[in-house]
Amino acid sequence: MNCIALLGQPNSGKSTVFNQLTGSRQHVGNWPGKTVEKTEGNYFFHGTSYTVVDLPGSYGLSGNSDEEIITEQFIKSGEADLVCVLADASQLERSLYMLADFVLMDHPMILLLNMMDVATAQGKQIDDKKLSEKLGIPVLPFTAADGKGFDELKTLIEQEMKAPHRPISKPEIAGTAKANADQILSGVKEKYSWIESLLEGVSKSAGEDYQVKGFDKLLLRPILGKVMTLLVILVGFLAAMFIMAPFMSVAGMLPGLLGKPIADFLTGLHVHPWLVSIFSLLIPNTFYFCISMAAFVFGVNVVFGFLEEIGFLARAAYQFDGALSKLGLQGKAVAPILMGMGCTIGGASGTRVMDNWGQKMLTMMVVWAVPCASIWSVIPVISNMFFPAWGTALVCLGIILYIFVLMFIVSRIFGGKLVSENDRSGMIMELPPYHKAHWKYILKEAWIKCFDMFKRALRTVTLVSIVFWAFSYSSSGNVENSLLYKVGTFIEPVTKFFGMGWRTFMAFITAAFAKEAVLGTLNAVFAGQDTVANIAFNASKAGVDKNALALLMTQTISGAEALAFMFAITFSVPCLMALSTTYKESHSLKWTAKTAGFYIVAALILSCIVYHIALPFLG
Amino acid sequence: MKLSELAANKHGTVKSLGRDEHFLNRISSVGITEGAVFQVVKNDRKMPMLIYVRETLLALNRKDCEKIEVSEVRV
Repeated sequence: MNCIALLGQPNSGKSTVFNQLTGSRQHVGNWPGKTVEKTEGNYFFHGTSYTVVDLPGSYGLSGNSDEEIITEQFIKSGEADLVCVLADASQLERSLYMLADFVLMDHPMILLLNMMDVATAQGKQIDDKKLSEKLGIPVLPFTAADGKGFDELKTLIEQEMKAPHRPISKPEIAGTAKANADQILSGVKEKYSWIESLLEGVSKSAGEDYQVKGFDKLLLRPILGKVMTLLVILVGFLAAMFIMAPFMSVAGMLPGLLGKPIADFLTGLHVHPWLVSIFSLLIPNTFYFCISMAAFVFGVNVVFGFLEEIGFLARAAYQFDGALSKLGLQGKAVAPILMGMGCTIGGASGTRVMDNWGQKMLTMMVVWAVPCASIWSVIPVISNMFFPAWGTALVCLGIILYIFVLMFIVSRIFGGKLVSENDRSGMIMELPPYHKAHWKYILKEAWIKCFDMFKRALRTVTLVSIVFWAFSYSSSGNVENSLLYKVGTFIEPVTKFFGMGWRTFMAFITAAFAKEAVLGTLNAVFAGQDTVANIAFNASKAGVDKNALALLMTQTISGAEALAFMFAITFSVPCLMALSTTYKESHSLKWTAKTAGFYIVAALILSCIVYHIALPFLG
Repeated sequence: MKLSELAANKHGTVKSLGRDEHFLNRISSVGITEGAVFQVVKNDRKMPMLIYVRETLLALNRKDCEKIEVSEVRV
């Protein structure tokens, strides 16, 4: 078994090396007994398989966090044949601290000097041969993101497997376990002076003052910086829409193009209408739906991948750390939360940047409170049916204000359990220098995520839409003959209490599958022209006559019910795939269920409150 | 004086980091150590401070900046 472990500080490019080595052959699980993520992958080189393990740990190994203990135990277990320690070549002195901690374990290792492109651009010269002589281990200068030197790295790993090297130099420190303050202080001193002696004659630090340059002059200002950050994100969203638009419009043609020929063909074969409807409506619509979702994930990931790589997201985290710490979150959570404004799925998978599981789970729960772009395509339409333009503006404002209330409630209820006092320590983070974007890498990563999303969506959506379709199938085409109608009207006395009649409640349920399905469902239940299933998973709004629907809805339900309904769908479970992604990222069925349960209950309570307050005015 | 009292573009050297072991490990792993020379890049109200130390630009929250004793160095 050939096992390589990767170790490096944040921003050392560890995950880039891991992703480039293993491609999509990755497996994410948990370390035994811990809520720390274990990322493993493998690659083949010269016919041999190599396992790569991404070791947890932040800036050093001498703390006593779960991550650091896991890394220490893993190394001591001897499972890893070789450890690749990464250092950022552009900030060598500080980033060698991880190496200074690790050499104490006396294990076969190599050192990768990553981000050589940045170091070279800064005019830094590093004598890697001399460094290698001093350390007694191979040192490889490298730029992981451009994807080039990987053959060299794999060849080096192959050689080291046969003839490993251990470090010949290390800081003079006695045992690091459970050090007291004095021991920590002297240990740290020893480690940095060891690093300084290593770098003597290897690299010269410029020793110049730091100048805030270019874009940073705006971006690091207290108020202007926040405005600029939000503007950049807004432009990012427009770019994401631009990237995904072609995919969505092509996929949008599928139901129209495939539906009728399939239906005609199968009807000609005298297949049962049930099956005709599955193959001509359900399957093309499911495909359309999954492709649009994958395109959404692709667009959001390209944009945020770019913003992360150039170093923008670190600045955004700096700007919003103060606000987020009130929710028990780190500044880093700003990226997933803003991504959630585009797509909750993107936001949930964006929580990967968080330092530990608790922070990650809490961020995901907070991301759910942010209404995604699709909900904003639904709310104004419904609101306009009932209220004048200023009323719609008020509804939107009310929703925006409630986002903050809900975030606060979520952090109050779950924050304490997920993020311990110790992990609440404030921001200590590096602001990396601006980097050039490596587009090939960004696109490759976004593609892997998008394809994974497509596969998962296809499985989940097909399963759920079949169940839903069966519930809402009606032989006469009229909704009143469906099982859904019978269940809906049966529980109506209960749902009425929460402000929703059976029609709006049914749309509330489909909204938890996909927000795009809301208008279609409303059309089906109010106009009764089409079966719910035919429309529910068809993300298109085509075929919904908004004026006719407006007339029917305003005749059937009160303004108070419409208002309660709008709040309920906005703050319920965002969509089926957001749920599935939350499970995939958290690896915890318990917490995924808790999140979904909380949001459903909170949406119903909200709906109840809104309805009963609004009733005297809008009844 | 406290790190948080040092204005932007001033230089300083770290005198003491306190005795909190958890904090000591965290802060030294990013390069802030007793004796280290640094430059304050930004010190805006209600924002984390920006410190340049060991060729690295660090964002440090204000609460931690109050725990760090420094003295000014005139360049």
